[in-house]
Amino acid sequence: MGHQWQAIGKTVCGAAHKRAGLTNQDSITWYPILEPGPPLVMAISDGHGSAKSFRSHWGSAFAVETAREVIREVFKPPPTLISRTDLSNVKRLLEERLPGELVRNWAARVSAHFEHYPFTHAELEKMASGDSAGSLESLEENPLLAYGATLITILVTQDYIAYAQLGDGDILIVSDTGGVSRPLPDDERLFANETTSLCIKDAWSDFRTGFQVLTNSPPALMLVSTDGYSNSFLDETNFLKVGSDLLEMLRAEGLQKISASLYGWLDQASQEGSGDDITLGIICCMDALQGGAE
Amino acid sequence: MGIRPGGELATRPLHFIWIADCSGSMETDGKIQALNTAIREAIPHMQKVTDENPNADVMVRAVKFSNGAQWHISQTTKVADFKWADLTAGGVTDMGKALRMVAEQLKVLPERGLPPVLVLISDGQPTDDFDGGLKEILDQPWGKKAVRIAIAIGEDADLDVLQKFINNPEIKPLRANTPEALVRYIKWVSTAVLKSASSPASQSKQVAAGINVPIPAPPPEEVLDSADDVW
Repeated sequence: MGHQWQAIGKTVCGAAHKRAGLTNQDSITWYPILEPGPPLVMAISDGHGSAKSFRSHWGSAFAVETAREVIREVFKPPPTLISRTDLSNVKRLLEERLPGELVRNWAARVSAHFEHYPFTHAELEKMASGDSAGSLESLEENPLLAYGATLITILVTQDYIAYAQLGDGDILIVSDTGGVSRPLPDDERLFANETTSLCIKDAWSDFRTGFQVLTNSPPALMLVSTDGYSNSFLDETNFLKVGSDLLEMLRAEGLQKISASLYGWLDQASQEGSGDDITLGIICCMDALQGGAE
Repeated sequence: MGIRPGGELATRPLHFIWIADCSGSMETDGKIQALNTAIREAIPHMQKVTDENPNADVMVRAVKFSNGAQWHISQTTKVADFKWADLTAGGVTDMGKALRMVAEQLKVLPERGLPPVLVLISDGQPTDDFDGGLKEILDQPWGKKAVRIAIAIGEDADLDVLQKFINNPEIKPLRANTPEALVRYIKWVSTAVLKSASSPASQSKQVAAGINVPIPAPPPEEVLDSADDVW
């Protein structure tokens, strides 16, 4: 009696970035794209967008591609029903192996890109005009800085859900009754637009992970979003309302209609809120969408 | 598109606080008048920056210090409504008390806000516990992450103290030795620095080393025509 899961999502270029002529620094991917899971993998990433991180749109694109491939590789499903021991092993994989694999693979992609496309004079000049004098030195030491990005991933299988997060952004779980919670603890270091990142030394150690064994009451929805979205709301309460509202809307109107509305909603949030790029991914438990509060 | 999910949307608050020296020495050579003029003239330029960056909700206040410290403009005021009331000078230089007052305000700023901008302007040396006041600011999460700019008016300003306030070796106190220079620096902090602080860009933790807002290069120091021009 497995549950079926399906994903939708959207990313929009921020209002402030449009005004400045910048591209969207966020990325999103999920697999499978149209068919339901499990397994289902979703990943989002937020490129820093600062003067020093002038290739962070590449950084975020590489981050989500990496996540999709690495997670499918690391968490290959076992041939038989998973046991308690298997679950412990999977949890260990999540906590001890996945972060390092994600960072290593991302760094390899970025390094390959940098080798083919070294920094241009124009890029470095533009960076120097918008950032501190020490930036050139730090880029020479660590070219990955130019590609700096965050990463949030969710893997849903028949037996468990695995969350992994590096940097800012939000994961919300919405229960069948519309209750909204966060599966991961806060990282107090993420404050004042400062974030942990794939591009810094020992990034693997900055990951937060969460593991949830699936029971008869799975989440109805899981939402992942970049910080441009939560920063667009007046406060936490107003942001969390996204979760309960989306559950109601999905039950009333269905996945396709909501998917078609996402662009407009996120664009409005950026214009009236943070001005930042906004990405929102939604993983739906299809059984839960049939249900609803009486 | 239909009604969107979620509650109320809001732009991100950005608190901008002038911290102005009104000690007796500011009365000499027209320094306090020059400061009043500089801030007043900067307002339309500040308004232009906020119009061009509507996702930052810039709110301005001002603290003055001489004998003790008081709010000169205590109500957070949107830039569009901001009007400057002239400062007058007299007394000592209780800079530490002014910093303590600012630190109290930093405690209540919302987490989702943009880094605040603190601009300290002084022509002399503090006469109270400056270190204690600065510590109170830097002990606050928003104090550590605030953009801190210092403008020294005249040759008697204590540059070491102002550098301590900035707390970043890459940023130096600006030295305004003439009214024209003061106008230029006040305009720069009200426009270029404000614009940078209004951006939603992130910085990775290891390289941020303090404030996350890249500070643009200030206007160059002036070449003086004669000693008569100098404070």
